Amino acid sequence: MSQVALISGGGGGIGGAAAHKMAAAGMTVVIADFDHAAAETVRGEIASAGGKADALSVDVTQTREVKALVIDVASRYGRIDVLANIAGGSMYTKRMEEFTWAEWKQVIDANLKGTFLMCREVAPIMQKQKSGRILNTASNYGVTGSALRTPYSAAKAGIIAFTKSLALELAPDGILVNTVAPGPTDTPRVLEKESAEARNRRWSSIPLGRTGKPEDLAEMYYFLTTPESAAITGQTFHVNGGVVMP
Amino acid sequence: MRLKDKVAVITGGAQGIGRAIALGMAREGAKIVVADLQGEKANSVANEIKALGHGALAVEVNVASESSVKHLAKTTFDCFGRIDILVNDAGIYLKSSVVDMTEADWDRTHDINLGGNFLCCRAFVPAMRAQKSGRIISMASGIGYYGMKQFSHYAASKAAIIGFVKALARELGPDGITVNAICPGSANTAMPRGHRTEEEVMQRLHSTPLPHVLEPEDIAGPILFLASDAASYITGQAYNVNCGTYMV
Repeated sequence: MSQVALISGGGGGIGGAAAHKMAAAGMTVVIADFDHAAAETVRGEIASAGGKADALSVDVTQTREVKALVIDVASRYGRIDVLANIAGGSMYTKRMEEFTWAEWKQVIDANLKGTFLMCREVAPIMQKQKSGRILNTASNYGVTGSALRTPYSAAKAGIIAFTKSLALELAPDGILVNTVAPGPTDTPRVLEKESAEARNRRWSSIPLGRTGKPEDLAEMYYFLTTPESAAITGQTFHVNGGVVMP
Repeated sequence: MRLKDKVAVITGGAQGIGRAIALGMAREGAKIVVADLQGEKANSVANEIKALGHGALAVEVNVASESSVKHLAKTTFDCFGRIDILVNDAGIYLKSSVVDMTEADWDRTHDINLGGNFLCCRAFVPAMRAQKSGRIISMASGIGYYGMKQFSHYAASKAAIIGFVKALARELGPDGITVNAICPGSANTAMPRGHRTEEEVMQRLHSTPLPHVLEPEDIAGPILFLASDAASYITGQAYNVNCGTYMV
């Protein structure tokens, strides 16, 4: 039986690219996204390329929805080998004192709490299997910080520390937990706000001379599911063209 | 095959982690230059690779010697005509407290571990620049981050490699060359056995958070990834491979 990968935020951008990569490698991919139509689109693309995929809806900030999702996936496939928590985003760019409490919580919950809720539901399944790979998503801003993105930077730094703690908790069961930290990446959501040309000008200091593509990140997520990464846990993998070297 | 027809030079390729990298890259289709101070052992790894049906060349080299590294580069270009991947794995691991350390041991550690990186990069970078592509992967160590008593020279040299890698990544990024480091934890090789009893070595290998003994192949895997097209957007990073011993 092929490996089963559950990918939150799999409906587009980096999550969509990760879904495509894992499906092309023979995994059964469950695309879970807030935007069901987007998840369905990626599912259709994977299916027409000969891959196996399901599209399910989830709001990762809602305990009840996350529980229902994981029960659904477990009942369909009986196992979860890979959990990739890619749902999230910065949502706002504004000064700290302009954030309302509700907005602050929205950003923290979509990124950090959503990661916790998904891990809490999936970890027991992996513990029973005595195997599993959990891939969380941070950001270079989780290390450097970013003006006008205080809650996002805090949430991403939180994910890095959460990953290390969870890696230590789950290591005895042979479960690996790592974080992928994208740098500036040309996702459709980002390109709606800024053209690729403008972004390349803004990011002209990137040593490799270009912004990232979702596929660049997908390769790292995939690598962290393979036997080649069997001795790696609790680490943060920056994929950013060299713009941040922590 | 992820490295088909690439030419890879692996210093320290005659044993342990370097040998695992050499064999792993050969299986992915690369032609391998096994470069090592121990010429006979390098020969036997090169023969092992040839027996698998892949191209290989053994070169005896002292990475701390300018003329020896020049000879390595010339032999590589004469035999294979190019270089795509340089793995700086050659290194030594001496034991001494700071107060008892001789200047000679300090110098030797830095000349080989850090200076070897510099000399090998300097010898091979011009060819990579000319072809606008290349991968450099240097072996650092978790000890470069967390230090270790009686290995201050080693720790300093490995931390310095990380700084060197970041600076070189910035220099070579515009030419499409990536430069990264791998920081292994204590692995099941001959190196730690030089200073510890077998019991101590096994105790260290089994005391990691992850119940997994770190084998040379576990280090080779991430290096193959960094050398492949999949990692074309990764540079200036130092990735830890240590079964969860230390998390940066």
